[in-house]
Amino acid sequence: MTYKPGICTFCGNGCGHFLKIVDGRPAGVFPSRNHPVSRGRLCVRGWNIHELLSTPQRLTDAMLRKNGGLIKVSYDEAIAQVVEKLKKFASDSPDALAILASPRSSNEEHYLLMKFARAVLKTNNIGLDSESGHRASLEVLNAGTGFAGMLGSAGAIAGADFLFVLDFDITKQNPILGSELHMARRAGAFMVTLDSRTTQIAKLSDVFMMAKSGSNKVVIAALAKILIDEGLADSAYIQKYTTGFEGFANLLGSLSYDDINTKTGISIEVLKEIARKLVSSRRAMAFYPSGISGLDVETIGFLFNLFLLAGKIGINGSGINPVTGLNNLQGGYDMGVAPDVLPGFQLLEDPKAHAAFAKAWGADIPTKKGRMPYELLSEKSSKLKALVVIDHDEGIVRYADRLKELEYIVYIGAFENPFTEFAHAVLPIASYIESEGTYTNTERRIQLSAKKADPPSGILPGWRLVCELAKKAGASWNYASPADVMNEIAAVTPPYSQVSYEKLRKSFGIQWPCDTQNPNGTEYFSADTSTKKLSFYPVKADYSIPTVSTEFPYQLMIGKAQHFWHQNNLMRLTKIPLREYNTTLLLFPEGYVEISPDDAKSLGVREKWPVMVKSHAGEMKAAVKISGEVRSGTAYIPYFIQETISKFLLEHREVLARGEDATIPVKIEKV
Amino acid sequence: MYRIKKSDIVNIAQELSKEYGIFGPYIDRDAGQVMFDRLDDLSQIDLDAPIPAIPPKHVIYPHSECILKYSYDPTAKKAAIERIHSEKPKALFGLRSCDLEGIRVLDRFFLGQEFVDEFYLANRKKVFIVSNTCVKPFAQCFCACTDSGPSAKEGFDLNLTELGDEYLIEAGSEKGKAFAEKIGLAKAGDEYKDKKKKAIDISLDLFTDFAVENKAWVSRVTNRVTTGFIKEEIWEYIGNQCFECGACTFVCPTCSCFNIEDVNIGSGATERIRSWDSCSYEGYSKMAGDHNPRKPVEDRRNKRFFCKLSYSQSKKYLRPGCVGCGRCAWVCPGDIGLPNVVTYIRREITK
Ligand code: SF4
Ligand code: SF4
Ligand code: SF4
Repeated sequence: MTYKPGICTFCGNGCGHFLKIVDGRPAGVFPSRNHPVSRGRLCVRGWNIHELLSTPQRLTDAMLRKNGGLIKVSYDEAIAQVVEKLKKFASDSPDALAILASPRSSNEEHYLLMKFARAVLKTNNIGLDSESGHRASLEVLNAGTGFAGMLGSAGAIAGADFLFVLDFDITKQNPILGSELHMARRAGAFMVTLDSRTTQIAKLSDVFMMAKSGSNKVVIAALAKILIDEGLADSAYIQKYTTGFEGFANLLGSLSYDDINTKTGISIEVLKEIARKLVSSRRAMAFYPSGISGLDVETIGFLFNLFLLAGKIGINGSGINPVTGLNNLQGGYDMGVAPDVLPGFQLLEDPKAHAAFAKAWGADIPTKKGRMPYELLSEKSSKLKALVVIDHDEGIVRYADRLKELEYIVYIGAFENPFTEFAHAVLPIASYIESEGTYTNTERRIQLSAKKADPPSGILPGWRLVCELAKKAGASWNYASPADVMNEIAAVTPPYSQVSYEKLRKSFGIQWPCDTQNPNGTEYFSADTSTKKLSFYPVKADYSIPTVSTEFPYQLMIGKAQHFWHQNNLMRLTKIPLREYNTTLLLFPEGYVEISPDDAKSLGVREKWPVMVKSHAGEMKAAVKISGEVRSGTAYIPYFIQETISKFLLEHREVLARGEDATIPVKIEKV
Repeated sequence: MYRIKKSDIVNIAQELSKEYGIFGPYIDRDAGQVMFDRLDDLSQIDLDAPIPAIPPKHVIYPHSECILKYSYDPTAKKAAIERIHSEKPKALFGLRSCDLEGIRVLDRFFLGQEFVDEFYLANRKKVFIVSNTCVKPFAQCFCACTDSGPSAKEGFDLNLTELGDEYLIEAGSEKGKAFAEKIGLAKAGDEYKDKKKKAIDISLDLFTDFAVENKAWVSRVTNRVTTGFIKEEIWEYIGNQCFECGACTFVCPTCSCFNIEDVNIGSGATERIRSWDSCSYEGYSKMAGDHNPRKPVEDRRNKRFFCKLSYSQSKKYLRPGCVGCGRCAWVCPGDIGLPNVVTYIRREITK
């Protein structure tokens, strides 16, 4: 029996698999047919995960920077230095130290790291990498429903009869969830896609709206307006379950039908048809990506409100569903890995929550909310001096210049990573199959991943390493196992209160809330059992869309993870997925800018010809890729070839922060 | 022909285990899934279990395997090359006839052509095969349409057929016969031939309408695929459903595509790894200088069905490339497993 059941931890889907272990080394995968999320399916990443897990490119020694180079040292020596330095910086000034956690860590690692930051180092400057979009979702969902996670679940998709896919190449980014959408579509669900590029799911949709770039929010607001104007809103539902309707309805007044048409390029008739289908559906679900390339708060707010108007939040599995790109992004938030929230999305600045944690931990914790590591990095005037990074992703390299100025950087991870170049201390940890741990997928399913192989000799699992750091810093932590850590998590995290390893071992995971009311978890959010009224999200009546000038006539979109390799650092350690990634990268080693055939013609360029892309703030060189997948007037640059565009993007940080459909006005010149 | 009490069948595995590592079907307790793998505890063998999710092909053609190691010592200026292969004796115990046919197709691919694949040969050499007749088919099976079941006709050392509380055991090779004689199995009289035939007839009757009806259709579709009389739109439709995940290849008992990579393992040493690959991947058919004869996904998809259902391919395998196990339908996120594709094409033919 060399095939051991487990879960894939590439993306937020959390598919079930078997991992083949031969002589202690991963040597193959097979899907798990009874797993409720994946039911026998895996995507290209999942089918090749053993290539990553068996890579020789592991970090196998603790290292400290001495005379410019990283020198192998004992764990003890490295831990002693790291703790001494971190304590010093933590007491230096509130902004001197930040911890950038990884959305790939287990819940137990997250929890302990968060506790280490707050209770031991006394800092709240802790946050997750590639988080912005998901945070925006949780903000809206928590404010609207008190449920800080996906409202529906993967299993409910097949039974949906209205599906709305927003700015989401779902069959590439979260393929197995995409497969559920395929299935629902084949069973007759009405499917609507809103995207500025043609994706596979767009091709399969009943209605594909290729709206003008930057106009997503206006499209959604227009649908809401139509529901009200046409008397389609579900007034009984609104009356019974919601608050804040008036305010939202009023704010739609300033949006005119003429405006809708010119701003979005979508006809009112099409929008009306969609509105009618939405309200007459039994189970309506919206899906959008949540993570580095997610939507912004306002767009999500409008979407949530649209679904409330239609009576489609918390009824029969209906709702809006942010989909996490990284395996434990949801779990990271659940564990309070954010500057302002504690486990269970309890606000740090709520005195009651704060006091409860101080008591549970028997330690003082700073009361003022912290800052996001990225904020501190990008703000030139910040006093950031030291940074701890777990399992780094691409994003941070954007701040290369700033990183070089920091006094102390600690890197903690399982695999070799180019980021260690910046580090002063490197602490290796076990990979996820070399230790037990739980991971919470995009539909709130907490899954236990068993230990299947031994770590490289002498290497500690992440949870143990954090314990060692805390102990060295003087804390009296005594966790015997990850199960032990989960017991403490359950005690302080209301939606996890009835979770235990014993229960998890007997299941394919449990969807939170798992509490005394729902001891076996909760498949989807229900308005009927909600303790509070659902509230319309307080959005702003800002219907402006980015305009182009004659000087900068193109809207440049960045970042949409069209390539499912948004986890580059890991993909680089595989063979087959890397080859697939390279099929694009090799063709365009310096990155590309995708434009429509018409635009290519008017610019007088052909495929692969070099062009300069210039904005008011910067410029970069790229090769032309001509495709019918973008509309004229729009140019698209994939974020994944960050080496090329990072400098350019650095000048447009505020655009990245605005989320997925934010654009930069540019001109394109033939060179 | 021999026979044995049903409850004693594990004794045969026990006897085999003296010489061979035993691989057989079992139910994984945690995931509740039928797998086929190396077993140390022979009581876990479950011959009644439905066909295993994983085809036994991985035993002789693993998902990934190191076939060569080489290293270079720059100070001594010496290179060392070590070929990695093992000819460990293995018994595949209780393999279903579709999966046996699958191995026979792989044999023809790896061993029966111009070049003999030595690594496959090493894995395959000392294999003892005990096949197991399906006295009832499982939900997704259609071996009846692809001439690969429900009972194996050749290629086994021993073949089991459950008949009430007994197993009929047929020897299909000298090796099988010698083994049966050695362990002193009770002889079965000629009346067992009839009994077996009846059991198979009952089994054939139990195939779903889909499988039975499709019998003629598989050959008609093969005809179409071979002659290219399938509309572009059909392939395009199929291409639009494909996720390019590779699953259909990996679970197919007859798929043989592989990738070779040299992996640097540090201190000057390199391992050459061979692993399963898939025609559904764009990078698989990509050639130097950005040529890709099969760039659009639909071209890569029709390639698969060309491989499974065309005369030219059948000539190579001496049978259709599909053995009717139905696994690709289980694992396909786009629901375009082979049975569905046959349905799409036949719909088109009947139109
Ligand atoms: S969809 Fe995500 S979790 Fe599932 S196999 Fe693919 S990468 Fe793994
Ligand atoms: S093509 Fe499908 S049904 Fe046919 S042998 Fe392969 S996996 Fe089985
Ligand atoms: S299993 Fe289905 S989706 Fe995956 S590559 Fe094969 S045909 Fe395409």
